[in-house]
Amino acid sequence: MASCKPFSVDLAQDQSGLPHYEPPPCQVACPIGTDVGSYVGLIWEGKTAEALEAISATNPLSGVCGRVCDAPCEPACRRASSDGPVAIRALKRYVLDALGPSYRLPPVAPDKPKKVAIVGAGPAGLTAAQDIALAGYRVDLYEAQSRPGGMAQWGIPDFRLPSEVVEDDIQRILQRCPGITLHLDTPLGDKVTLEQLRQDHDAVLLAIGASAGRKLGVPGDDLPGVVDGVSFLNRVNGGERPRLPKKLVVIGGGDVAMDACRAALRLPGVEKVVVAYRRGPAEIPARAYELEAAKAEGVEFLYNVAPRAVVGAEGALTLKCAKTALGAPGTDGRRAFSLVEGSDFDLDCGMVVAAVGQKAVSLELAKYGLMNGDKISTRAADMGTSLSGVFAAGDAAFGSSTLVQAMFQGHKVAYYVLAALEGVAHPAPYRTPYRTRNVPVAQDIAWEKLPPKEPPFIGVAKPDPFGDAEAGYDSKTAKEQAARCYRCDTETGSADYSVKTREAIFAMARADSGPAEVAALTRAKLEKRAGPVLEAMATFDEIVFLPANLTRLVIDPYREACKTATSLGGLKLAQPILVAGFDDAPAELRGAVAAALVEGGGAYVGRAPLPDAAAHWLQIVDGPEDASPEAAATLLRVTETTPLALPPARPGRLRGLIATKASLARVLRFALAEKADLVVLDGSGHLGGAWADLAGAPDLSLLSDAVETLRALKAEEAFPLVWFGGLRSGTDLAKALSLGANVGIVEVAAGLAAGGAILPSGLDFSGVTAADAAERLKAFLKAAASECSMMARCCGKTNVHNLEPEDLRTLSLRAQAAVGIVMAGRKKIA
Amino acid sequence: MVTLDLAQISVRDANEAMRAAAARGENIELLNPDARHHLGVGLVAPVKVTIRGSAGYFCAGLSHGARFEIESNVGWGVGDSLYDGSIVVGGNASAIAGVALRGGEIVVKGNIGSRAGQVMKAGTLLCCGNASFLAGYMMYGGRIVILGDSGERVGEDMSAGAIYVGGKVQSLGSDARLAEMTPEEDADIHAFLRKYGVAFDGVFQKIVNAGNKLRYGVNEPVSRPLPYTVAEGGTYWNAKVAEDIHAKALIGRYRLRGYGAAKAVPHFNDIALRLDPARIRAASDALASVNLKTKIGDRNGAKPLELSMPVLIAPMSYGALSKSTKIALARASKLAGIVENTGEGGMLPEQRAEAGQLIYQCLSGRLGWNIHDMLRADALEIYISQGAKPGLGGQLMAKKVTAQLAAVRGIPEGIDLRSPSRHPDIMGADDLVIKVEEFREATAYSKPISIKMGAGRVRDDIKIAYKDGFDFVQLDGLQGSTGAASTEVLENVGIPTLAALQEALDGLREIDAGTDMPIVLMGGIKDGVDAVKALALGASAVAMGTAALIAGGCISCMQCHVGNCVVGIATQDPEHEARYEIELQAKAIARFLESVRWQIATLTKALGHSDFRQLSRADLVALTPEAAAITGLPYEPDYHPEAEELLTEVA
Repeated sequence: MASCKPFSVDLAQDQSGLPHYEPPPCQVACPIGTDVGSYVGLIWEGKTAEALEAISATNPLSGVCGRVCDAPCEPACRRASSDGPVAIRALKRYVLDALGPSYRLPPVAPDKPKKVAIVGAGPAGLTAAQDIALAGYRVDLYEAQSRPGGMAQWGIPDFRLPSEVVEDDIQRILQRCPGITLHLDTPLGDKVTLEQLRQDHDAVLLAIGASAGRKLGVPGDDLPGVVDGVSFLNRVNGGERPRLPKKLVVIGGGDVAMDACRAALRLPGVEKVVVAYRRGPAEIPARAYELEAAKAEGVEFLYNVAPRAVVGAEGALTLKCAKTALGAPGTDGRRAFSLVEGSDFDLDCGMVVAAVGQKAVSLELAKYGLMNGDKISTRAADMGTSLSGVFAAGDAAFGSSTLVQAMFQGHKVAYYVLAALEGVAHPAPYRTPYRTRNVPVAQDIAWEKLPPKEPPFIGVAKPDPFGDAEAGYDSKTAKEQAARCYRCDTETGSADYSVKTREAIFAMARADSGPAEVAALTRAKLEKRAGPVLEAMATFDEIVFLPANLTRLVIDPYREACKTATSLGGLKLAQPILVAGFDDAPAELRGAVAAALVEGGGAYVGRAPLPDAAAHWLQIVDGPEDASPEAAATLLRVTETTPLALPPARPGRLRGLIATKASLARVLRFALAEKADLVVLDGSGHLGGAWADLAGAPDLSLLSDAVETLRALKAEEAFPLVWFGGLRSGTDLAKALSLGANVGIVEVAAGLAAGGAILPSGLDFSGVTAADAAERLKAFLKAAASECSMMARCCGKTNVHNLEPEDLRTLSLRAQAAVGIVMAGRKKIA
Repeated sequence: MVTLDLAQISVRDANEAMRAAAARGENIELLNPDARHHLGVGLVAPVKVTIRGSAGYFCAGLSHGARFEIESNVGWGVGDSLYDGSIVVGGNASAIAGVALRGGEIVVKGNIGSRAGQVMKAGTLLCCGNASFLAGYMMYGGRIVILGDSGERVGEDMSAGAIYVGGKVQSLGSDARLAEMTPEEDADIHAFLRKYGVAFDGVFQKIVNAGNKLRYGVNEPVSRPLPYTVAEGGTYWNAKVAEDIHAKALIGRYRLRGYGAAKAVPHFNDIALRLDPARIRAASDALASVNLKTKIGDRNGAKPLELSMPVLIAPMSYGALSKSTKIALARASKLAGIVENTGEGGMLPEQRAEAGQLIYQCLSGRLGWNIHDMLRADALEIYISQGAKPGLGGQLMAKKVTAQLAAVRGIPEGIDLRSPSRHPDIMGADDLVIKVEEFREATAYSKPISIKMGAGRVRDDIKIAYKDGFDFVQLDGLQGSTGAASTEVLENVGIPTLAALQEALDGLREIDAGTDMPIVLMGGIKDGVDAVKALALGASAVAMGTAALIAGGCISCMQCHVGNCVVGIATQDPEHEARYEIELQAKAIARFLESVRWQIATLTKALGHSDFRQLSRADLVALTPEAAAITGLPYEPDYHPEAEELLTEVA
């Protein structure tokens, strides 16, 4: 986790340009590019610490976001249009809940001399502080209040976001970044001046927030009993629980209004809370979830109502209202409204909370001419102000916004501050980088079926009404919800329909794609170039079968499996498959292999016999003197220099040779002369060694060379050819048979089937039980035989031994050269 | 009554006259039939038809409601796909009597040949004499009554229905068993015999499905695919190989999945257009100035399909896909002015209503195949094979074989449906041409008839298609997708789309066939760029299946065979299907098709042409040695257009 750099300031971490990475819609929708796919995948795997690492790589306020992020990712989730989006936010909360408040990330000590002052320990300031500190600089973080967290701490009530959660996140940041020094109760202009900060630091970042509430702007809005939403929430979040009048009216429809009305409902004395909003239910900006929660807790909503005046005295106020009518959307996309004449009415209440917006206020900054109305005058391009070395970010700079937008601004400003510190005059424009941790897709059997499940809603809790209004997921639910993710971030299983191809098709179908977008997609596709020419060995994958279509119609009884019975120089096999590789396997496993072979009608190729004498054994020997009387066949391994000599002929024992590319010509001549019973073609070059197949792709030319040599000698049927090398399936086997082999040997495939895992040292069978291995190997051999039959049937054959070279085509020039089969699309090789 | 003398008029004229007479409600008498094929096919009126002599192939096939009496013998396929009505044959019937019977009654007074009642769905087939081998082969329903002996392997792989044998049963077929007969059944059969004046006092043996092969054993554990890059860039024994072997070791058989070949093969990406991508600009007015309209299907005088651009929707079945998806595809195809295709699963009324033009596909299992939908179709298509699984029949897992779907297809619900790998009546080129003729006779030569072929020995197969008179060919390469097939077949059987097209063109050139049989190419065509390359190489049009599904929300998880499609496309589960918003996705597919149109028009124009037919091989270069070797295009791996070219042409 030491490598867990804050990638947002390192644009090189962006992976959206990589050939196999397409940022998913949720990641694109997130202002800070959260790697949702990875953390959701990690949750399914039960790796919560890794999940937090993925979250916190861009999100220092992971705990806060898990509770109250407005989650723009969720509406963007592709599953939203199916059966509901993945619960991305609630899953984030689950990670923090599961790890517990004391979970910490490893510290990164400062290693650079320069210093940065940040004013405001809210989401923007904290995010920037962490980015700058992780880059190695020291940060002095000044906070006007007694506790850090800004709006997260002071603006959001405890039932949505307990103070401890904010504090945990901040503690995690501070312990991770020992280079940050937090100065509490240090308001700008009061305890510390801008001039001082500029003198003592190499850069100053102003992230003071917009914490002053706007007034209602109607007569009587300064009466006692009329308060602004932010001040109201600050009081409550500061721990006060004032007794309030029975009835409150909250004016506004945003997040502050929702928090205020729900907080009010929890305060002593309050019986009824009404929210009055100027526009209709379709226009209300509050998140649907918050709105529903408020309704569920008993808040009443009045739509299309505008305040005209407040009259009366505290505890007995009258809000004079009028009905509104909505017009066409204005330039900001919001519908204009007008007052309906003669619709005036009165709302009596004890208190009015005006949640109609926030503003930044700073007399100190105004002194330097930095304030433009209620915002700090800031260039959006580089987050700089008119004073050199002074930057600004967050709600104070760009108006009130969401938590995650503030964090985006924190990342962005940190990027420009770091550029300034490092003397980069013209940094590339900041953009949110997308990264992935390439987490595997959840293999959950029910992923298509699992319905979305919201976290349990508690509402006004008892005995503490300010306790959590929403519970977290338990681990089972979290896993299920994580399994629902489509994992749009992952590559598909198809080279033909890769994720880039899929996304290009999606883009061509989107409602907002016009000719410009289609033109761009078209150019991108035209620019695509084929991959480099491969140098490696041709594999079985570059050979295909030709189905029987019009030219080769046959009346083969459907479903009647193709015949697979095989005679290997008199040795009867149920299918043309031999098994090898278990010479050094544990004894009980070798017993299991024997059981599978006896039941399945197979035989074993190896240096030592299997424990069960009923399992036929084809013995691999380095010299004729090693031949065992127990073996059904002796296979002499022939290297370039091995003297050629077969053991004496004996009834019931076959005599064969193992040829490699180097020894093929000698072996074939000798085998013909000595009337050998069979020849094994070792495409790996290592048969007789441990797990010879692990050498990789076999040399397929050995098989066609052997067939060609024998044909030239007019001895094609002289003895059966046994193929060894790279057989993974019945299909590979069918290809070997088509090319001229009579039988194939499976080795690593058999080891994997028996439950083995590939390690550098060979196959590992730890934890594999013999009974299990026998069943599995038997099943694999059955599957392989059926696949081999299936290929033969597709070719119109009723016996796998009728497969022939004419049933094949190659897909590459190298395969064409290796096996002498013409490439599909061509008539002749040359 | 109308009397027609086949010594005087052709079968085509006779069938036309029969339709006219039947429409007037007049009975018909045919003289001198002399074993001519296709007598009375496609007749849909409750009149009586008397054939004085012997009839050839497919007598009374594809008819509904008429009462046929044939005095003597009939050739093979008597009563093919009969919907309802009756056929009484005075003599013997050849092979596949009552093939694909959908209803009605067939009575053969003499013996019947092999495979009687193959893939029949309903109705009664009575043989008063002996039946040859494989009677009731792969039948899905209905009953066969054999008063004499039955040959070997009676009831082989039947799914449902019953066979009653009055004589000796030579041997039972695979997955068939003897069953108890109820008195009601016996009474019902005797009533049937009395109705046709047939006396029988023997005892029947009843044969039904034994139920051992209707379902696969262990279900494969659902597994979402590993990224293809695991195999493409990995070692020989990579994680995908290991996963595959582990899965097979669990289930003991081949694995299944949806989609097509997943491995990289020579494809259209290995060919470049001779133009500078930078010249493709949004402002192009190519849509107005480039002709994309085309017609296919009038090679034999039928009413052609009219395409607003050389693109079709590839055949995909209701079954593999949800009804909602089929409706969305049909709607989108109409909006785009192109053609939709039923695929294997029969025609849905909603699909017919939504599609402007619809191709109706006939498969080996004759699932949902009937004369009425043939008449409603704009073109008929004989499926020989498909790129995803050539050489094998279709597969539809039980989860998807719902009651409604089973009703459309005429099969029992809840079986793991495997269609036969071959047509009952198409054993080779000669049978095929007779089958084509039957369809032409049944639809008065008014419908184009195409052939759907998965790519194998295309160079040879295309010559047969040409000589058998198909109006066009739908050629499907290795990359063609499916809702369910063995992964091994998907990856390893058939040749790539690019090679298929080249072989088809070469094959036609070898017999100087000219260009009058259009080739519609499919299998991994993803957009207008691929389409332009295919057209430039010589395809007449392209078809898109998977790309259209993706445009309509498919996320390429390749789990189509499971039946729980997360977006409601490849499913018959109502809860999952409800996730698919027909109107929303129809519009998305239509927009995708418009983007394709824009690409084809713009690229055609940028290459200097005003009609897509002017696209040619001169517009292409090969980027890989394989693509060059397959197509014969110049191999220019580093091809980049010269800047000068920019100035000479106008995009």
